[in-house]
Amino acid sequence: MLEIKNIFKTFNPGTVNQKTALNGVSLTLNEGDFVTVIGGNGAGKSTLLNAVAGTWLVDSGSISIGGVDVTHLPEHKRAKFIGRVFQDPMLGTAATMQIEENLALAQRRGKPRTLHAGITAGEREQYKELLKTLGLGLEERLTARVGLLSGGQRQALTLLMATLQKPKLLLLDEHTAALDPKTAAKVLEATQTIVSRDNLTTLMITHNMRDAITYGNRLIMMYEGKIAVDVSGEDKKNLTVEDLMQMFEKAAGAALANDRLLLG
Amino acid sequence: MKKGFAILMALCLLLGCVPALADELYRVGVCQHIQHEALDEATQGFIDALTAEIGDEVSIEIQNASGDNGVCLAIISDFVSNDVDLILANSTPSLQAAYAATSDIPVLGTSITEYCVALGLDGFNDVSGSNISGTSDLAPLDQQAALITELFPQAQKVAILYCSAEPNSLYQVEIVTAELEKLGISVKPFSFVDVNEMSLIAQEACDYADVIYTPTDNTIAASAGILDNICHPAGKPVITGDTGTCRTAGAAVLGISYYELGSLTGRMAASILKEETDISTLPIAYAENVTKYYNPAICEALGITIPDGFTALPAN
Amino acid sequence: MNSFINALPGAAAQGLIWGVMAIGLYITYRLLNISDLTVDGSFCTGGAVGVMLIMNGWNVWFALLAAILVGMLTGMVTGLLHTSCGIPAILSGILTQLGLWSVNLAIMGMKANQSINVNKYKLLVSLRYLQDFNKGKRTFLEHPIFVVGMITLALIAVLYWFFGTELGSSLRATGSNPSMARAQGINTNRNIVLGLMVSNGLVALSGALLAQYQSFADINMGRGAIVIGLAAVIIGEVIFGKLFRNFAFKLLGVSLGAIIYYVVIQAVVSLSGINSNYLKLLSAIIVGLFLAVPYWKGKYFAKAARKGGSAHA
Repeated sequence: MLEIKNIFKTFNPGTVNQKTALNGVSLTLNEGDFVTVIGGNGAGKSTLLNAVAGTWLVDSGSISIGGVDVTHLPEHKRAKFIGRVFQDPMLGTAATMQIEENLALAQRRGKPRTLHAGITAGEREQYKELLKTLGLGLEERLTARVGLLSGGQRQALTLLMATLQKPKLLLLDEHTAALDPKTAAKVLEATQTIVSRDNLTTLMITHNMRDAITYGNRLIMMYEGKIAVDVSGEDKKNLTVEDLMQMFEKAAGAALANDRLLLG
Repeated sequence: MKKGFAILMALCLLLGCVPALADELYRVGVCQHIQHEALDEATQGFIDALTAEIGDEVSIEIQNASGDNGVCLAIISDFVSNDVDLILANSTPSLQAAYAATSDIPVLGTSITEYCVALGLDGFNDVSGSNISGTSDLAPLDQQAALITELFPQAQKVAILYCSAEPNSLYQVEIVTAELEKLGISVKPFSFVDVNEMSLIAQEACDYADVIYTPTDNTIAASAGILDNICHPAGKPVITGDTGTCRTAGAAVLGISYYELGSLTGRMAASILKEETDISTLPIAYAENVTKYYNPAICEALGITIPDGFTALPAN
Repeated sequence: MNSFINALPGAAAQGLIWGVMAIGLYITYRLLNISDLTVDGSFCTGGAVGVMLIMNGWNVWFALLAAILVGMLTGMVTGLLHTSCGIPAILSGILTQLGLWSVNLAIMGMKANQSINVNKYKLLVSLRYLQDFNKGKRTFLEHPIFVVGMITLALIAVLYWFFGTELGSSLRATGSNPSMARAQGINTNRNIVLGLMVSNGLVALSGALLAQYQSFADINMGRGAIVIGLAAVIIGEVIFGKLFRNFAFKLLGVSLGAIIYYVVIQAVVSLSGINSNYLKLLSAIIVGLFLAVPYWKGKYFAKAARKGGSAHA
């Protein structure tokens, strides 16, 4: 479903701020893979997601989604294959527009925008049902402006929008990091439900080692722009947090000095 | 929202301290488009002459639009809804607004060069046949051209500096160019967009020419100081189209007195109001006297010798 | 006081005409978050195109349509400068406006001022018609307030429909959250160009209406247009913001804001015995008061609450 071949990306080349964020990353995801991605700060996790999404183009290498080579496509053209949830709850929705309008926008992702009505009555019913599954009471507030919602509600909505059309690839960039533990748990639960129900190929970045082990059928650890560890199936199920730390030290050749990873 | 409106009305009432006008007086509204010397003089001349003729029977309201067309429209609207007996439109935008606003109230224009162009009238031979008349500040352009050759017989290149946004300038530029070329002089126009560009373009004009000419141009008149600051150090004399500009920046001018022009208009107004002259048959009047003025300070500084027949520009 | 009331229709008509322009500005300023300085140029372009076409015998409605189309072209130029050439939006607007000076002059035959005689041509709106109506020579159907009022309502209806469509919604998303819009497959660059086109089309329409109203098109007529437009938008929001939630009413509020602006100017001209040289200062003070009063109100009541609900509230 997702094939990344040897991609490189360097920021600010030739200046004192030069940083090679992706240093020859290759990765193949089969349909239905739910991959958790962990790593220290600056390891390249978000960069990897941004590269796949097309926020900018990679320097070399290739990316294809569902067999289609998207390496040179701009972000909005790749969007029809991809659902994204950002780390910042404010980024995933349009604050000045209503909940139903946001959902309607997501419904039309990948299709040309015509002069037909932006939202139909039949759709509203559909959205009501969908919002019920979140259990946040949003189904009663279809016409409320998204800007009035809390971070957790917005993030849940973004998740819904990202998965509305059963995307070929779901990209989750630490999507619960900015939420309180209770809401984070709810959102993760919703994520699990939706991903298993629709068998979505998912890449989820998380700083929480336990979540990384609990969720998904595969785990990747990144270090300095490369994939350092790739564990799947039974091996992954039996991992403990200590195992992960040892693996990291081995791959990195250095002691792990990241509080969030340790305490997560 | 209601509170906001109430506050507005209260403010209006507070400001509405204008006493009601007595019905027996003639009411005249003066709309001047922008403040500068020539226009101010014309207004003053108008007021003095009108007051001299029928002083105790007339009440004059003077408003200045500060160069804003929207305000000009508001002023004219005010006059028309007040049903004044006569409007003085000082400068082209005022005239255009007044013409649009009313076809009944007599409108006298002043400080306007070309009425036909300003109002889009056809076959205009100085009589409008409608409620418009007035005075024109056009000093004979051929005589102005002759003035240049009289003062500067050696000059071969003349630059005409004007503001492209001025309604009256292009017309004068074309005619003066033709006249000068008849006298064997090369002429090049230098136009600028607004006062910010003026110094740059003036500098270019100085580089090219022996003599600079400026037509009656409100933008130049309002910023004559800039003109002087460029041309004086460059040693290039400026022949201006109006006396106000000449006082600051010019060497010489074929002057009409805007004050006199205003007075002429004032007398026309008096005759319309008092003697009920029909404005539609009143032809556009031109300045009766043209005088060859020279600016003593600038001429001395530039070393220009003044032939006979020139009068020193009074400093005032 | 009487003359102020009599002059109100004129002020309202002027306000309505500028209101069309302010609605166009609302689209770029509020919906797309772009400060579009093209408007100083495209306002005059609309006036120039309208006047020249009418003088060449075009029917006034077709002349207005042509003005809208040319206005859209100017918006397209600014949009392409911004999206295809990477020039910041404000600079793109300035560049277009700069270039438009020469274009506008050329449209008017290199003349800075082109008058259009209301007696000679059949105009849609004119200051003259106000007086004609007062004298009973014309019906209310020809009164500028009615004509421009109808145009404004029609425009609001069209815009309300448009921004409810898929395309219109995508435009709103582009302005609200560009990254999210792109993630939803929206071509934000194309939408920015489209938004600028629609906006400047409206601005040009307003210019064409004003040129007819005042009987001339002038190269400087757009100067300071963005200030007036923004003032109208903000006045409308401040005064009607709490009342009007619906998008259509928000646009109406903008038009009303423009009317209020010109009523204030008329009030200062008609009512104050002050030298009109102080007009601009006075208008600024009054508009400033308008904008400050709601803010002060909010603070005053907040203070009362903090003091434990004082009885003096």
